[in-house]
Amino acid sequence: MGELDGRVAAITGGTRGIGRACAEAFLAEGAQVVVNGRSEEKGAQALAEMDAGDRAHFIAGDMKQREDCEALVDGTVEHYGRIDVLVNNAGGSTGAAPVAEMTDEAMQDALVWNFWHTFWCTRKALGHMIPQQWGRIINISSVEGKMGKPAVSHYVAAKHAINGLTKSCAVEVGTLGITVNALCPGAIETDVMRSEGPGAAEAMGLTYQGLLDVFAQEAAIKRLNEVEDVGIVAALLASDAGAGITGSLISIDGGTSPY
Amino acid sequence: MGKLEGKVACITGGTRSIGRAMADAFLAEGAKVVVNGRDEQKGQQCLAEMDAGDDAAFYAGDASTQDAVEGLVDFTIDRYGQLDICCLNSGGVQMTAPVAEMTDEEWKLEIDWNLNHVFWGMRRALQHMIPRESGRIMVTSSVEGKLGKPGIPGYAATKHAVNGLVKAAAQEVGTLGITVNSILPGLIETDIVRETGPDSAVAMGLDGYDSLIEMFAQEAAIKRPNTVEEVAAVAVLLASDAARNITGCMFPVDGGTMPY
Repeated sequence: MGELDGRVAAITGGTRGIGRACAEAFLAEGAQVVVNGRSEEKGAQALAEMDAGDRAHFIAGDMKQREDCEALVDGTVEHYGRIDVLVNNAGGSTGAAPVAEMTDEAMQDALVWNFWHTFWCTRKALGHMIPQQWGRIINISSVEGKMGKPAVSHYVAAKHAINGLTKSCAVEVGTLGITVNALCPGAIETDVMRSEGPGAAEAMGLTYQGLLDVFAQEAAIKRLNEVEDVGIVAALLASDAGAGITGSLISIDGGTSPY
Repeated sequence: MGKLEGKVACITGGTRSIGRAMADAFLAEGAKVVVNGRDEQKGQQCLAEMDAGDDAAFYAGDASTQDAVEGLVDFTIDRYGQLDICCLNSGGVQMTAPVAEMTDEEWKLEIDWNLNHVFWGMRRALQHMIPRESGRIMVTSSVEGKLGKPGIPGYAATKHAVNGLVKAAAQEVGTLGITVNSILPGLIETDIVRETGPDSAVAMGLDGYDSLIEMFAQEAAIKRPNTVEEVAAVAVLLASDAARNITGCMFPVDGGTMPY
């Protein structure tokens, strides 16, 4: 008997990294899970690895596109009959640079990838959750949603914006059985970190390893976080026991953020 | 197989309300638990209700005194051979008042009960946990650990203080397998709130206990008080091995009250 028996979750960017850890944590508690990603091949691989049979499903889509965001939510309802939990997890940034040199394209891309996708999916999901008077929206923000590092102002601004959206939305639906929270993980060596970290590090005047060391040294635990750290908190928020937690920006950062 | 099999916990103020819900949740996950309270009779009643046999014990003592807090930690280690999870949960106010009218006696009581108790318990527990390079310390703070309501200055001040203590301690032991976190509940109708709420309402300029509850409820997005079970679920998470990388966190359980 799991804490999420009978629940249906959709996770943006769920084939690897944090989203995948959320998917596995939800599956372990009995939920049915839709994971999303751009690549059909990675989706098929994720399903094979999770080995959850009919309880897991993949919907391809680019979370930088509104149509794909909305199709993920609707596709989840179509496939499993409902949507109870939405994890807005996709995100990242490219083109790291100081504000004085930041391009419009890099800023726009980060806002679409992190913030707009969260808004699009949330709006669509609320259309299903409000009538059923039950829902959990879990936004994967970042320690950078509370703090600010040089050369990643686009990422920092987008994650702060997600936190603002979280607070406002939580108040709007607070009496409707729907909670809206943001998780703020410290640095984790995900695929996105591996692909975009070196560029960000260079813009900060660091090597990639140097960047990881900076993050680790800022934390009390002196090491990076892991995707499973986020999965366990997401599972708690998704459960019935999480009903009294909303509008929260929960730090999962090994003791980095001051608040 | 529970998430806390083989773990030993102690909880200040654990016979009723939040502490009791933590105890029940820990027991359900396989831990052994020592609960504390001032009243021997309530302690025995608690043990009878929990019905956990040798897995639960009671330690009588006033959590606003150093002897009792340190005694609880020592008793737990003596009884079960180790201490893995130390919940510093007791706290409250007695006859609170606005700053201009606050008595020295009340102020000192709140400092001892809400702040010193946490320090005494944390220090004693860490002395046991550091050599073992393993442990979980969690403090029941409050939404008032980030905010500040009129009429409860000592409570707000001490709950802010424990959050500072938690952050500093988390840094000190961050590489030693020990996490230190605060849980920040919104208003919960606990025994303490029922007992002292009417006087607190007066100190806050409200027209009664119901107004106090309603004010807190209306500040939350969920428009209701929180429940002890909601806090206990977070406590189990933080106590588990899986939460090894969550530390120095002010974990809100406040239905959307705090702005940060």
